[in-house]
Amino acid sequence: MNIGILDYGAGNLKNVCRAIEHLGYSYQLVATPEGVASVDKLIIPGVGAFKVAMEQLKALELIEPIKQLAEASVPIMGICLGMQLLFEQSAEFGISKGLGILTGSINLLPETNSVGNKVKVPHIGWNELIIDNVESTIIDNLSSNEALYFVHSYRVEAFDEANIVAHCRYNGLKVPAIVQNRNIIGCQFHPEKSGLVGLKILANFLNN
Amino acid sequence: MNNVRLISRLDIKGDNLIKGVHLEGLRKLGDPQSYAVKYYQQGVDEIIYMDVVASLYGRNNLSEIVERTAKDVFIPITVGGGIRSIADVRHLLRCGADKVAINTAATQNPNLLSEIAEVFGKQCTVLSVEATRHSNGEWGVYTDNGRERSVFEVREWVTKAVTLGAGEIMLTSVDQEGTGKGFDLELIEMVSKEVNVPVIASGGMGTVEHIIQANQAGADAIAMADVLHYNKMSFKDIRQACKSSGLQVRNTL
Amino acid sequence: MTEKRNIQQMYDLPTAVKFCTKCTISNQRPRITFDDKGVCSACNFAEFKKTGIDWETRGQELQALCDRHRKGDGSYDVIVPCSGGKDGSYVSHMLKYKYGMNPLCVTWSPLLATELGRKNLDNFIKTGFDHILGTPNPVVTRKLTQLAFTHMGDPFQPFIYGQTNFPMKMAIQHDVALIMYGENGEVEYGGNMKNALSPTREIADHDGHYFSGKPPEFWEEHGLSKADLAPFSAPPMQKIRDNNTEIHFFGYYKYWDPQECYYYSREHTGFTPNTERSEGTYSKYASLDDQIDGFHYYLAFIKFGIGRTTSDTAHEIRDDKIDREEGIALINRYDSEFPAKHFQTFLDFCNIDEEEFTQVIDSWRSEHLWEKVDGEWQLKTDIMRS
Repeated sequence: MNIGILDYGAGNLKNVCRAIEHLGYSYQLVATPEGVASVDKLIIPGVGAFKVAMEQLKALELIEPIKQLAEASVPIMGICLGMQLLFEQSAEFGISKGLGILTGSINLLPETNSVGNKVKVPHIGWNELIIDNVESTIIDNLSSNEALYFVHSYRVEAFDEANIVAHCRYNGLKVPAIVQNRNIIGCQFHPEKSGLVGLKILANFLNN
Repeated sequence: MNNVRLISRLDIKGDNLIKGVHLEGLRKLGDPQSYAVKYYQQGVDEIIYMDVVASLYGRNNLSEIVERTAKDVFIPITVGGGIRSIADVRHLLRCGADKVAINTAATQNPNLLSEIAEVFGKQCTVLSVEATRHSNGEWGVYTDNGRERSVFEVREWVTKAVTLGAGEIMLTSVDQEGTGKGFDLELIEMVSKEVNVPVIASGGMGTVEHIIQANQAGADAIAMADVLHYNKMSFKDIRQACKSSGLQVRNTL
Repeated sequence: MTEKRNIQQMYDLPTAVKFCTKCTISNQRPRITFDDKGVCSACNFAEFKKTGIDWETRGQELQALCDRHRKGDGSYDVIVPCSGGKDGSYVSHMLKYKYGMNPLCVTWSPLLATELGRKNLDNFIKTGFDHILGTPNPVVTRKLTQLAFTHMGDPFQPFIYGQTNFPMKMAIQHDVALIMYGENGEVEYGGNMKNALSPTREIADHDGHYFSGKPPEFWEEHGLSKADLAPFSAPPMQKIRDNNTEIHFFGYYKYWDPQECYYYSREHTGFTPNTERSEGTYSKYASLDDQIDGFHYYLAFIKFGIGRTTSDTAHEIRDDKIDREEGIALINRYDSEFPAKHFQTFLDFCNIDEEEFTQVIDSWRSEHLWEKVDGEWQLKTDIMRS
C-alpha cells in the first residue's frame, strides 16, 4: 500500500511520519502532482494559516491532483489545518478559497458562547469525543471518555450534518472533531499528538 | 468545563536536563529523553522543552533533543529558548515541535510574534513570560533566563503580545520557581483577566492543592518541573489526586 | 594628576597575555601559574579535586576536627565568618546541624549594604544562629575607602583587612580556637598553591606588619588615628597564639561547589538570589551584599584585564557547570560592563567627582594590557580574539 503524506511546507510533517512509522507502516512524502496521483492513501497534515497553505498548494500545482484523488475514491485524511483545507473557504485573513471537497466553511471560534461566557481562543487541550455516527470505521475500538488533543482557532461551520462522525464541546461551543464523506476524512484534533488514542485513529484510517 | 492540562516542563542546557531555583543554578539531572519518555508513559498531557541558556549564550540547539523525543512521544511538544526568526521556528517544527515559546527575542522585536503567527498560526505561537514582582506591586518582564530586566511590565506586555499574535501564554513566576511553595496566584489572575488566550501557569508547583488554586485563578494548564524531576510525586499520583479532588483532567488508561 | 602605576612590577605579571586552554582565566591573575600544556594551576587543582582526593577520608578528618573542638558546655566552639551570602550560610548550617557544633557566626559590615544583602543576612540569622555584626565607625570607613581607592586602586582593601581580622578578634574574645572559612581562595582560584593539601593557612602569612600594606605614617598623614585603625587591624600575634587559633577551610574537607552552596542555602537558610544579574557578570547569586562591590571587580578588570565574568566563568568551567565556549560567549557579553547602577553612590561615598575617578582608573591601566583605539580604551588582547 502506497501511503502518501503531503509535503507542502505545513510544519508538523515529521510528527505524522513518526506516528505512521511507529504503527509499522512505510510512507512517501509527496509534493508533486505525479506523487499525489500515485498514492493509495493520502494524509494532509497542517499547522499554520489557511491562506498561506492554499497558496503553497497552488504554487506546487497540487490542488487539482488532490481533487482528482478525492473523485477517484482514494482515502484522504486531513489533519487539523489539513482538514480545514478540504472545505470550501475560510475567513482567516479575509475569505480564502479551500479545496471545496467537503461542504462547509471555516470560521473563527467566537470569544463568547451562546450564554455570554468567555471562550478562550485558540482552543488548546484534550477534549472528549461525542460520537454522532457510530458506524464510521474511523472510530473503531475507541472507548467513550477518551480525549484527543485539539489546538486550533477556527472550526468548521455550515457543514452537512451527515458528514459529522464526532464532535466535542468546548465551553459550550460545538466543534466538529471528525468529519467524513465516503473516502474523505478530516480530524480537527491531532491524532499524531494524542497519545495511544490518536494512534488508534490513525491505525483505523490506515487499516480500513 | 474544560480539562486542565498537566504539563511537564524540562529545562535544558546542552545535553542535560537541569533544574535551578528562581531560574538560577544549572544542576544537572540527566538525559532529558529518558525523563520525557517516562512522563509520556505515565500520561502527561504535553511536554515543554526550554533551553534556558540559549538567549544568555546567544545560540539555540534544541533540535536534536526534539527530534529524539518526537520519535517515541506522541503528545504535543512545545519548544522555547533562543528562538529568534521564522527560520528557527520552521526548523524546530520540522524537527517535531508543535508549538514554539518565545521571550527574549519578542521583547527586543515584538513584531516577531506577528510574523510567526502569520506563517505558522497563533496556536503555534506561545509567549513565554518570566515575571518578577516589583515593590510597586506590578510584575516586570525579564529575559535571558530571568536575569535581564526588560522595558516591559507583564500587564501591558501580554496584551500587546496577544494582539500581535501570541495564541497562548506560558507564565513563569521567577519568584516562585523551584520553591515548591505554590504558584503566584495574583499574577495568574491578573494575566487571565487581561487576555483571552489559554494560560499555562509555571513556577512553584509543590502539591495538588497548588494546581487547584492555579486553575481557580484562571490557569488552563499547569507546568510542573521540580516535583516531577526530583521524584517528589509520580505523575500518575498527581493525576489521580487531581481527579480525587474534583479537578477536571482528562482520563488516561 | 594621578601617577601611572607599574602594575607589572607590583604584581609580577608577564608581558605577553596568555589564556588557560581549559578555563577562561589569563596569566595576568597574580600568583597563577600555567603548566607546559597551557593549563592553569586552578584547573589542575580542580582536576585533582575530582580524581585525586578521597573525600570519604577528608569527611572523617572533618568529623575528627569537630570532635576535637566541640565543647558541649554551651559555649561557642567555632567561629564562622559569613555575610549572609550562600557560602558562609552553607558552612554555618552544616557545622551546626550536621556536625553538632555551636558556631558563632561573624559578619564584618559591608561598606554600603544592599537591601537584598541585609534581607539575606536577616533570613540566615532567623534560621537559628548566634551572630555578631562588626560595624566599624562609618566615618572612618568612608575615609579609608576613599584613600584606598585613590592611593591603592582598590576601595575594598580596608574592608578586606577588617573582614580578615575581625573573626580572629572574636575568636580570642570568645575563647574559640577554630575559625572555619568556606574555600581557600588562593588554592581554588589559582593563587599561591602552597596550601593545596592543607586544611589550614598560616596566620603569619597575613600581612601583620602594616595595615593594608601602608605604613602608619601614611594613615596619620591623612588624619586617621590608631583608634580609628584599631577595628581593622589584626590582634597581637601573641594573643592569636595563646588562643591556639587555627584557620581551617571547609573546602578542604568537603568538595567545594559554590553553585551547590546556592541550592543548599536557598533551601535551608532562606537565601534569595537577586532578581537581576550582577553588573559585570551573568549570575544572580554571588556577592550581593555591598553596593560598592562592583568597583572592586571593575578595578581588577582594569588592572589585570580580568573582569567579574572571567572569574565566574573560570570557576564554573572547573566545576563542570559550563564549558569554555559558553564562558567566552558570556565574557564577550558582560566582562567589560561598567558598574553604573551605584556609580553616583560610589562617587559620593568617596567624595570624588567623575574626573578624579577616571584619572585614578586610568593610572592603573598598564601599557602591556591597554591601548587607545579611536580615542577609546581597549584591551590589547582578550579571550575572544586570542
